[in-house]
Amino acid sequence: MLEVEDLSAGYLGDDVVHDITFSVADKAAVTIIGSNGAGKTTLFRAVCGLLPKTAGRVMLDGVDISGLSAHRIARAGLAYVPSGRHLFPQMTVSENLALGAFPKRPDPETMAVVLELFPRLAERKSQPAGTMSGGEQQMLAVGRALISKPKVLVLDEPTTGLAPKLAADAYAALAILQAQGLTLLIAEQQVPLALSLADYGYVLENGRVQLEGSAEELENDPEVRRAYLGIA
Amino acid sequence: MTAVFLDGIVLGLQFGLLGVGLTLVYGLGGILNLAHGSMAVVGAIVVANSMAAGASVLLAVAAGLLAVGALGLLLDGTLMRAVYRLHGESRVLLSLLLTLGVAFVIDGLLVWRYPIGGLGIHIGGDPIEILGVRMRTGSLLASAISIGAGAILVAFFRLSTAGRAVRSVIQDEIGARLCGINPAAVRSLIFGLSGMLAALVAITRSMTAPITTTAGIDFTILALIVTVVGGLGSVAGAFLAGIILGIVNTVSSFYIGTYITTIMLLAAAGLTILLRPSGLLGRRA
Repeated sequence: MLEVEDLSAGYLGDDVVHDITFSVADKAAVTIIGSNGAGKTTLFRAVCGLLPKTAGRVMLDGVDISGLSAHRIARAGLAYVPSGRHLFPQMTVSENLALGAFPKRPDPETMAVVLELFPRLAERKSQPAGTMSGGEQQMLAVGRALISKPKVLVLDEPTTGLAPKLAADAYAALAILQAQGLTLLIAEQQVPLALSLADYGYVLENGRVQLEGSAEELENDPEVRRAYLGIA
Repeated sequence: MTAVFLDGIVLGLQFGLLGVGLTLVYGLGGILNLAHGSMAVVGAIVVANSMAAGASVLLAVAAGLLAVGALGLLLDGTLMRAVYRLHGESRVLLSLLLTLGVAFVIDGLLVWRYPIGGLGIHIGGDPIEILGVRMRTGSLLASAISIGAGAILVAFFRLSTAGRAVRSVIQDEIGARLCGINPAAVRSLIFGLSGMLAALVAITRSMTAPITTTAGIDFTILALIVTVVGGLGSVAGAFLAGIILGIVNTVSSFYIGTYITTIMLLAAAGLTILLRPSGLLGRRA
C-alpha cells in the first residue's frame, strides 16, 4: 500500500535520513522504532510532503506521490498525525473533525464510527480544541485524520506526553482500527507498545535503517532487547 | 441621540468590512496590505465610470467589485509571490514596501486619469423615517448593503467548508495542509475577497458622500486602526472594533466636531495598544 524507496531528506542542505527503504502492506501495521533524534519525524515529514525530499520515491497504492505537496498527498489518502498534533485550537471539536474531510463535508457514517471509537469527543463536540487535555487532543488528531477515510494512517509518536494509562488506551484504539482493516504506520519510542501492535518493524538509528523484521523477530533480537526494551 | 448611534453603527459596519480584509490577509500570510484603501477607491471609480457610461447601478457595482477582486488576484499571483517566499520579519517588511509602492502607483494613476474632485453615486428617492430618524435612500441602501455583507461574511466563516478552511490556515497552517487544504489557494481567495470588501465600502461611502481619488490612504489608515483595535487575524474582532470605532467617530464628530474624529480614532487605537496589545479579540502572544 505504501512503498518508500531510497528516501533521503533533511534541513538546510544536510540530510538527516539517508536511503530509507520500507514498505507497508495493505491492512498491515508497521512501526518505525528508534530513539530521540534517530530521524523518525524527519522521515515522516518527508513522506507526507511537509519536507522536500533530496532523493527517493514514495508510492501510495501504486501511485507515485513523491513530488506532490502536503495537501495533495493528504487528499491522495495518506493521513498524517504529527506528534505536535497541529489541531485548530480556537475551533470546536466538531469543526476540527469536519475539516478532516476537506474539501467534502464529513460523511455521517464515518463521523459515527469515529465518535464511537472516541466517545470523549462526542461529549465535547462544542468545546474549543485548544482547551482540551493532551489525551483528548490526541484522540481528536487521530479522529480528524480518520474522517478523511485514509488509505494509510501515519502516526508520529501518538503517545507523546500521555500518561502510561492513556498511552495504553491510545494503542487499544489503534488495535481496533487495525482489526477494522486500516493500514497503519507508526513511529514510536515506546517500543514495547509499538511491537505489541505491529506486524513488522524497522529500527532507525542515526538516520539509517539498522534492522528490520517481524515484531516477533525484533522482540527477540538481543540488540533491540538491550537498547529499547531494557532487557539484558 | 438615537440618530447619532444608528449612524455610528452603520459607519462601524463599514469600518468592520474595511478592516476584516486587511486583518485576514495579514493573519493568513503576514502581509500588511498598504494598498488596501487605494484598491477600494479603484472599485468606486469603476462603478462611477460604468454608471456614467449608462450601466445600471447593479451592473456597475458588480463590475466594480469584480475589477477589484481581479486586481487582488493579480497582485497575489505576481508581486506577492516574492513576499511569500520570505519568512518572519523580512516577509512583513517586504510586504509593507511592495504594497506601499502599489498604493503610490494606483493613487498616481487615479490622480492622473481623474483629476476632478469628488465621485458620487447618486441614488434617488425621498427620505424615509426609521425609528424616528429621517434617512436618505442612499444611506439606507448603504446600511442595508453593509449589514447584508457583514452577515454573509460571518455565515461564510462559521458555516461553510471554505470559510472554515480559511480559519484553519490562520490557526495552524501545517494542520490545514495535513487536512488537504492548499494555503496558497486560500491566500489568493482572501486577497481577492479582501479587495472586494474594501471596494464595497468605498462604493457604499460614495452613495452617501462623494469620495476623492486620493481617499485611498484614508481608507488604509482606517482599516489599520480597525485591525489594531480588533486584533490581527480576527474576523469577529474586526466587526466589534469597527462598530465601537464607528460610534466613537459619529459621537465625537456630533458633539465636538469633525476635526476631532481622526484624533479620537487614533486615541482609541493607542488606548487599545496600551491595555490589550493584541487587540480586543486577538490571540494573546
